[in-house]
Amino acid sequence: MTDSDQLHLATLWFLSARAMAVAGEEMPTVQEAATGLYAQAILGFTEEICCEAKDAEYISNKTLIDCLSGVRQLPRELAEKILTGIMMISYSDRSMKPLEVRWASMLASAIEVSPDEFQRCCVNARVIASMLRPHGAPAS
Amino acid sequence: MSKSETNFQFLERFDKRVALLAKQAEEYVHTDPDSCMFKLRLMVETMAKKLTSLQMRGDISQDLGAMLGALERGGVVPRRQADSMHAIRRDGNAAVHGSPTPVPTAMRRLREAYKISGWFCKMVKRGSKVNLDEFNPPEPPVPMDSATKQLHGKIDKLEESIEERRLATRESLLMFGPQENVKEVTRRITEELKALDNVAAAAGEPTIDADFVALVMAMDLEQIEEDPRHGGSSRQAKRDAEQQLTGIKKHLAEREEAFLAERTFLLEQRKT
Repeated sequence: MTDSDQLHLATLWFLSARAMAVAGEEMPTVQEAATGLYAQAILGFTEEICCEAKDAEYISNKTLIDCLSGVRQLPRELAEKILTGIMMISYSDRSMKPLEVRWASMLASAIEVSPDEFQRCCVNARVIASMLRPHGAPAS
Repeated sequence: MSKSETNFQFLERFDKRVALLAKQAEEYVHTDPDSCMFKLRLMVETMAKKLTSLQMRGDISQDLGAMLGALERGGVVPRRQADSMHAIRRDGNAAVHGSPTPVPTAMRRLREAYKISGWFCKMVKRGSKVNLDEFNPPEPPVPMDSATKQLHGKIDKLEESIEERRLATRESLLMFGPQENVKEVTRRITEELKALDNVAAAAGEPTIDADFVALVMAMDLEQIEEDPRHGGSSRQAKRDAEQQLTGIKKHLAEREEAFLAERTFLLEQRKT
């Protein structure tokens, strides 16, 4: 994958992840941390690519429709990793709001995953969320 | 600043133990920077324990790193303070494990401890007013020679560079870039999501199986891993994710070790 492809993919990831976090209404730090860790550990982006993807030049002029269209054009394996990642973000605060369900649904439709494939992504997301979720109790 | 004066007098009214540790750190900063770091680390640990007992519920690990992480995630400690506390924890640990602390590093952490202290007082006594004066660096007991001054300058530059690299790592992990207006981006995304939601609802877009999503969230991980349909896949996903996560953690740990090695190298240059 070229640097430009990586940058495009990383931009798609951060947009999708933000949409899921924003859909959750509150944005706990745990979601922020999980987003970056997933980007580097699972999607394999470098620190530089992660920073560049969040540069205004790449991300600020993209809408969620651009994001859906971009994800639709990705190879299946990568698209499923993005879907798994956004489900992980949703699971990381242990609740799911209606807009979160909607965003997951729109991404799943864009990727055209079957119900079985979607279920697999959900289960994997739950497992990964439990790993990235740091230890400690929630704040009172 | 004379030997009997301290930057941390104001702390006495809020937490005597923290104040004592801060003053001891201040006394050691020139003569024994390693001990200064021990005291600062203990001071941060004492603060973290107090904040945990005041603001958090449930079982929080007594490990300082985990405690700070929980306080930050719980929104008790803001990012800037958390960064400084982590820096003190890291350098304190390094000192405990035999990595020598240069005076400029100890002084930098002492200055950070001073800033954290002002914030800490407001946290332990809500509504209290703490106006911090400019930090007054303790003077060395004997004037520094030019070679020492030169070395301290180099170490300061190195510390700046280490902090820049740490910041880059941190920023790479966050959801938003440093130049972004998070409030504005959030507002825009919310509007877009609501518009898309209306369009999807009007088009009769089938939603995902929310019951299944809720079920997965409620299931124990053991249940998931034993599930005949998903067990194999989720165990594999866990193994892969664990391996990749370990790789990233190892990379970050190695970078911290490299920072320490750079620092030690500079100090050893002085001895030769």
